Amino acid sequence: MSEEGRNAEELRYRALLALDVFRTDARERLVEGLHDESWRVRRAAAGGFARVPGRAASVERLISVLGERDETGARNAAAEALVSLGSASVGPLVRLLGHVDPDQRKFAADILGQLARPEAEDALVSVLLEDGDLNVRVAAAEALGRMAGRSGARALERTLNDVEPLLRLSALESLAALRQPPPLSDVLPLLNNPLLKRSAYRVLGLIPRLEATELVCRGLGAESRSTREAALVALGQQAALTAPSLRSAMDVAVSQVLQRLPEASGWVASALESEDLELRAGALVVAAVLRSPKLAPLVAEVAQEERLVPEVMRTLACFGPETGRELLASMGRLSFPAREAAGQVLVEMVDASFVPELVQMLDWGELDVKSVAVRALGRTGSRDAVAPLAQLLSDPEMAALAARALVSLATSHRDLVLQVLESALEGGAEPAVLNALVRVGGTAKLPLVRRIASQASVSLRATAVEVVAAVDPVGGLELARSALVDESSSVRAAAVRVIGQLGDASMAELLARALADSALEVQLSALEAVGECGALERAGDLESLVRHPDGAIAFRAVRSLARLGLLRDEVLARAVSHEDHEVVKAALQAGADRGGGEALALELLGHARWDVRAAAARVLADSGGTSSLPTMLAALSLETDTLARRALVDAVERLSGR
Amino acid sequence: MMPFDTGRPEMNVEEFRLLRDFVYAYCGILVRDDMKYVMQRRLWPRLEALGLTDFGSYYRYLRFDAQRRPELETAIEALTTHETYFFREPRQLKAFSDEVLPVLERRNARTRRLRVWSAGCSSGEEAYTLAMLLKESGRFEGWDVEVHGSDISRRVLAVARQGEYGPSALRATSADQLSRYFVQLGPNRVRVRDDIRALVSFGHHNLQEPEQGSCSSRMDAVFCRNVLIYFDTPARQRVLRLIYEKLTPGGYLMLGHSENLINLSADFELVHLRGDLVYRRPELGGWSP
Repeated sequence: MSEEGRNAEELRYRALLALDVFRTDARERLVEGLHDESWRVRRAAAGGFARVPGRAASVERLISVLGERDETGARNAAAEALVSLGSASVGPLVRLLGHVDPDQRKFAADILGQLARPEAEDALVSVLLEDGDLNVRVAAAEALGRMAGRSGARALERTLNDVEPLLRLSALESLAALRQPPPLSDVLPLLNNPLLKRSAYRVLGLIPRLEATELVCRGLGAESRSTREAALVALGQQAALTAPSLRSAMDVAVSQVLQRLPEASGWVASALESEDLELRAGALVVAAVLRSPKLAPLVAEVAQEERLVPEVMRTLACFGPETGRELLASMGRLSFPAREAAGQVLVEMVDASFVPELVQMLDWGELDVKSVAVRALGRTGSRDAVAPLAQLLSDPEMAALAARALVSLATSHRDLVLQVLESALEGGAEPAVLNALVRVGGTAKLPLVRRIASQASVSLRATAVEVVAAVDPVGGLELARSALVDESSSVRAAAVRVIGQLGDASMAELLARALADSALEVQLSALEAVGECGALERAGDLESLVRHPDGAIAFRAVRSLARLGLLRDEVLARAVSHEDHEVVKAALQAGADRGGGEALALELLGHARWDVRAAAARVLADSGGTSSLPTMLAALSLETDTLARRALVDAVERLSGR
Repeated sequence: MMPFDTGRPEMNVEEFRLLRDFVYAYCGILVRDDMKYVMQRRLWPRLEALGLTDFGSYYRYLRFDAQRRPELETAIEALTTHETYFFREPRQLKAFSDEVLPVLERRNARTRRLRVWSAGCSSGEEAYTLAMLLKESGRFEGWDVEVHGSDISRRVLAVARQGEYGPSALRATSADQLSRYFVQLGPNRVRVRDDIRALVSFGHHNLQEPEQGSCSSRMDAVFCRNVLIYFDTPARQRVLRLIYEKLTPGGYLMLGHSENLINLSADFELVHLRGDLVYRRPELGGWSP
């Protein structure tokens, strides 16, 4: 297109986007746009109809455009506009299904399929079974495949016996799309029909039964690649639908077929590399049975499709330890998701002989690769793994992981690990190292920890306070008291946490100061600590914080009051009206825990948030009182959210003893 | 429970939905319903690092802890795959070098200024690759050239700024490119040469918060490859609107090879290059190539 032409197109496009839809000629301007030579302009016009007042008139006008036989672009754009008008289009389109021109009827069926409104289902069923034009019937079959209705599915099943292969094919495809497979006996004869067998395998894949698996496995031995691939797709579908406990039976069925197919490794490899997600899913099932290490990198690459990650992990797990080196050797070529999957598996299968390769991986730039290497080194049990891990203890990103790995190695090399942890601390290591040191060295290391608590960096001081408390409660509490005046808020917050965990009500005065601390971190810790150590004197402070706009503060205030057993009705009411739904749920739970929370729960069945309604249903179920059943049933009839509905159904069933 | 997951907590559907909705509200990233397992697996290390025993506690940590903001960023980072390497999708890069850059050279000949944005740049490989292509073209000597990389993850931006990479990042880099644009630091480690690094800047940008964006200039080209996949339709449309606003009229948008704008936006026009299909913000005015 010339620059001039492009500019003119852009002007027409912009004009339609800016069109005042309340103008009397707005609809006709859009209709004119539907006929534009540029698809961008046509799309802008189609999108405009949803904004024009008077949907019924728009629908009629758009249907008239559908009748313009030579205007393909305009008709498609009109169809798009009719879809965007939603329910207003359904009635007129159903009427169009009775038009004398089959072309118009087909258009109507196609658009109704895109709308997928249940009110059109019966009309489409009639067209499917009775229309005189094959194309219209096929369009109706395809449309019903998007409806998810029972009568549609039944009609599609009946059509499987029709003489027209194209119609049978559409019906099969639609049943597959609806995930409503016909009976196995109906599918069986279709497997031998070259036109239908691919779709027949698709519906077979929706039947997670061993008989169906055995039928699918026959397809694996087919000479034709398309049949083999259809069988693979079906296997993948079955695997996704089969309970984990039944997968081994499925593997046995696949294994029996593979014994007769020595060339399977080749076509499984190409299926693993295919663009087709369903095909890859099936290839994983077969690869898990083949267990050829050479397939492992290809299997790992399937993890690029996140939906298949669980199956990838399962497959790699089936491969066994010899796969480890194959994966290690290919790490540099793998994509990120594949490395992630391979890494997870590698960590489980390494031994001391892997140390040199794992140490080499530590030189890689990618953090994920380094993380795998560190975790794996920790599992090698090798003395040679200690030194390379020790070098990472001063790296902020790797220190925690390396420290954990060293703790694992300490089971066989305790003295060496203690030595490197102590050296690292002297060199100003990360807090995780301190934790690791105490985990490995126990109370013998307390003098060192105490020294750190008074001298080291902020993060080490904060950790030291908590670490001492974990192994020496009396000394920990003493250290925490002195740390309450530390200049760093992180250290003060750590001290408050320790006081909460180890202290008693006598700490109330100390916590008053912490509650008024200028740092949010300290305040939040203090709110929790008040409840934990039973500082009843602070209840007033907590009550005033229940209305705090920051949900973090209000939430902790409610929980602490509940823990102290001092949550008064008026405070509870205040909490229930908080904007943050987590505060509301905390209040609901607190009300239930202290007894008599049913009234509150009944009230909250009408809350705007699904999770609050679900929590209310659970509280009512736990209460055991059947008097709330009528209200719950009423709520159930109105509930549209899946999870809230499930909670209500569970509650009703529990209370009614079903 | 998967074979390798023994002993780790399961995420229940309610926890999944609360976490998913929270992440979506923060940055528009949509974790699909069928990705509960992926979310669970990616967040396990966070539970471990924070000493938490279940996902409900993790959700409340993200909502209510004093460290919630950095932890949320860490969570987002864990949930988004940073799959990137130098010279990724060579066909598109060749089309950019051979067909887009000559157009941009002619267009901007007067200002001698060029801006390219790598949106969702992750650890920087794409932004540096673009800088290498600009250098290699030889068209912009003496120009004011900048490649800007942005990402929502501050951690990957730190890696990007450092400019040091291992074998995985170089898996599509030829020996010739390796010797021209990198300095060898060790057997498995390279650093991007300083003259390339000088062309590239990095900044933090949540694409769902346009006003907080790190790039203030109008862009001549935007690479936004494999970023839209993380968003649902409304969020994608918001990102595309942002890109449209940031592009100069006539500026180019490059998406990932499996991405397109069908049903998302008609603001851009599709441009059929000899080597690839790209999008362009239409131009109003008298300029002609």
